[in-house]
Amino acid sequence: MSKRHSLHPGSSSNTAAPPKPPVHLSSSLTIADSTLLAGTHTISLHGETVIHPRARIESHLGRVSVGRKCIVHERAVLGAAPVSSSSAAAAVVRRGGGGDGASGGDGAPAGVTLADYVTVEVAAVIEAGETVVGEGTVVGVGSRVGAGAVIGKHCTLTPHSEIAAGEVVPDSTVVYANGMRRTDKRGVAELKNKTMARQIDMLRRMIPSNPAKFA
Amino acid sequence: MAALTPYTFIQCPCSDSSTLGRPSDANPAANATNDDDEEADEDNRTFDPRAPRSNFSLYPLEYLLYCEDCHQIRCPRCVSEEIASYYCPSCLFEVPSSNLKSEGNRCTRNCFQCPICIGPLAVTSVETKPDPSLLAAPDNAAAPHSGPYALTCSYCHWTSTEAGLKFDRPNNIHAQLTKLRNGGLTRLTARERRERRKDPAYRAHLAAAAAVAVAAASEDVDDVEERGRGPGIEEKESLDVETQFANLKSFYQAQLANPNSSDTGLTGLGDLGFSSPTSLSRIMSIYTGGSLRDKKAKSRVGAMREALDADEGFQPARLDESAAIAALQAHGFDGTSSTAQLAEQPVNIGEPAFPHGQAHFASDLRPVPHLLRTKRSKRCPVCRHIISKPEAKVQTTRFRIRLVAGSYIPSIAIRPLALSPIPNTSSSFSSTSAPIPTSTSASASGPAIPGALLEPLRPAHFVLTFKNPIFESVKITLGAPAHTPGRFSSKVTVLCPEFQIDANTDVWDEALKEGLATTGGGAASGERDPRERRRRRGGTEDGSQSGINPTTQLEVGKIWERGRNWVSIVVEVVPPSLSTLPSGGGDSGLPLQEDEDVLEIPLFVRVEWEAEMGGDEVGSVMPGVGGSKEKGEGREKRELAYWCVLGLGRIRR
Ligand SMILES: [Zn+2]
Ligand SMILES: [Zn+2]
Ligand SMILES: [Zn+2]
Ligand SMILES: [Zn+2]
Repeated sequence: MSKRHSLHPGSSSNTAAPPKPPVHLSSSLTIADSTLLAGTHTISLHGETVIHPRARIESHLGRVSVGRKCIVHERAVLGAAPVSSSSAAAAVVRRGGGGDGASGGDGAPAGVTLADYVTVEVAAVIEAGETVVGEGTVVGVGSRVGAGAVIGKHCTLTPHSEIAAGEVVPDSTVVYANGMRRTDKRGVAELKNKTMARQIDMLRRMIPSNPAKFA
Repeated sequence: MAALTPYTFIQCPCSDSSTLGRPSDANPAANATNDDDEEADEDNRTFDPRAPRSNFSLYPLEYLLYCEDCHQIRCPRCVSEEIASYYCPSCLFEVPSSNLKSEGNRCTRNCFQCPICIGPLAVTSVETKPDPSLLAAPDNAAAPHSGPYALTCSYCHWTSTEAGLKFDRPNNIHAQLTKLRNGGLTRLTARERRERRKDPAYRAHLAAAAAVAVAAASEDVDDVEERGRGPGIEEKESLDVETQFANLKSFYQAQLANPNSSDTGLTGLGDLGFSSPTSLSRIMSIYTGGSLRDKKAKSRVGAMREALDADEGFQPARLDESAAIAALQAHGFDGTSSTAQLAEQPVNIGEPAFPHGQAHFASDLRPVPHLLRTKRSKRCPVCRHIISKPEAKVQTTRFRIRLVAGSYIPSIAIRPLALSPIPNTSSSFSSTSAPIPTSTSASASGPAIPGALLEPLRPAHFVLTFKNPIFESVKITLGAPAHTPGRFSSKVTVLCPEFQIDANTDVWDEALKEGLATTGGGAASGERDPRERRRRRGGTEDGSQSGINPTTQLEVGKIWERGRNWVSIVVEVVPPSLSTLPSGGGDSGLPLQEDEDVLEIPLFVRVEWEAEMGGDEVGSVMPGVGGSKEKGEGREKRELAYWCVLGLGRIRR
């Protein structure tokens, strides 16, 4: 996508007139005008979540569900097409295809499920295919989470981390330095949630929300 | 296969084995005589860029310095360095060298690195830890900051509490850390320890402290060790390395001073100085086989006993490693510390669990104070003149003196030359058998795109642009072997081995001159694109391009083009076929080695110029310095000669 297009994703999508995906938006959601929602399956965005401008949420391959008090930053992509389709398919088969996501199921396969307090930072990509990101996890700048990966609670993916398709990352894991793993022993989950709530308060004042555009 | 950017490496003359140790009169120019053909005959030695030794003597021009007094290139191998200042790379604080001796080579100003990932550590309150992702929330500033504090890494989320390290105050962490053992125990100085041993309440205190250690430390190493040790307090006492050394030292000193084993000639080992005559005779006796050794000393040694308890520095070896094995089983390989992490660790003298500073588990790793760095000045090893000197202030990156070779010796730029038009490749192929560098071989094709593969057995042409940085016009003489050394020998022809480059005069003077069209090659903008310049020049000189097209003209002995302070010449190479089939050659059956397909040609460059005789040129009086000098009236002839290696490209396999 060229830069010019990405600056005005709304207009380009309007002119091309693709069908709007069915959405389930919370009333307390903050979603920027230039966010791009695309796809055919349901996109549910839950309460007090903040979607930054130019974030992209695609539900071509399955439902996308974002929990409460999540922050999805600029140019982050939820539900991207898997890079290697075979591994994604394998992941789906392995996990039995059960929709363990949040509410709003329309019988379709779950694409991406973010639990509460998840931060998806700038230009991070989460592939579709029953990918689950646990509560309080931070997906760092430019990271890529493969299709079918299951990331536990309070994990940290440092910038440009890669999680392979179908991988299971235990709770409180820090993925750093080209795939090194360690366990976060700070035990500051509560504190992080509090600071995140404060951050969301601030962002809600700063980002003009336009949920009506996507409804 | 990665494309190869053409490169030029220069061999520092110091690596010339015939002149090792005497770089001053080691000017290869002295050996190299007037003609390069003669030179080749005389030395009978062509520099081989592929020789293993060459790896250590070839440098890009940017790496080289130049001694103005010896008139010689100086490489990183042949300068002597002096430390100008020590500083912390994190806080940029200059550490006086006196502090260095007392406090070691690490920053003592709260600069710490993460032992896991080397990220910088920040002091945070353990209770109200600000989240790194939080962008200056107003509430956070109001949050109470109270102890205890810990060092945390914002990248990998390591925290010093993992090693049981908490600090009471947010400042002066370094001093607090040196007093803290892993698990939060206080480390005592030797005197404190001695005093405390007299304290009757010590027994109870020690037990309590051990309990704290067990509780605080996440691993059960201490636990097992505490249990493993005997009930007696003397056995239970474990010394850190410092105390143990101090105890041992005082014990042996006492032993030596013991009157019944005393020797009139020898004082305690601790006072042993190499300047005293007795020590000298002792050392002599060691080397001369004991003829000087007196029997008294032998008997004295026999009278010494060994340390018996902790007070005397005795520590039983801990052979019980079950705790380490259990921890290994619990945490696995990931829980152990890596060699790199251990190397980063400062010697940790506080831990009884690993008395030699070796933490076996990642959970034992301590914050790493930043290692200090140095600013260095460089001296010519021959004349001791400073050739590079940084500014003393740590914050500035400027240099007071920096004599880089690039401002003294010509730079060589390489550009592939595409000859247009290419009439027929077959004729060029036929010319490979005897690549006579006449204008007929101009029909050969060369890789027009930089980095393109060179076709085997097909002549390729490269334009070498020599740019003169000095304010005198220089005469360049080039010498290249007709066949490159190595298994796959290329044929090399330098079309113009001798030429003159004009001085690097003032750019604006030249620009004005060019405006008057007095000089053909002048241009205001230095050398931008030589091709463009040539076109422009052709236009001004002939008024039209009706003359011979210079792009198809290759003539022996003619320079390709010239500019204000540069000259371009053409080199023709015929790359060999890289076929490794055993075609009769002895070692040609070996597979192709790494980078053996790179076409490298050794080139001997001799630069001659006349320079003003400086009044302070003491070196010029000495014979042999800087090559031959003929003193004229205020002018002297200088010359500089060196080998360089031109990497032209890869040959197609
Ligand atoms: Zn050298
Ligand atoms: Zn420092
Ligand atoms: Zn770290
Ligand atoms: Zn010198």
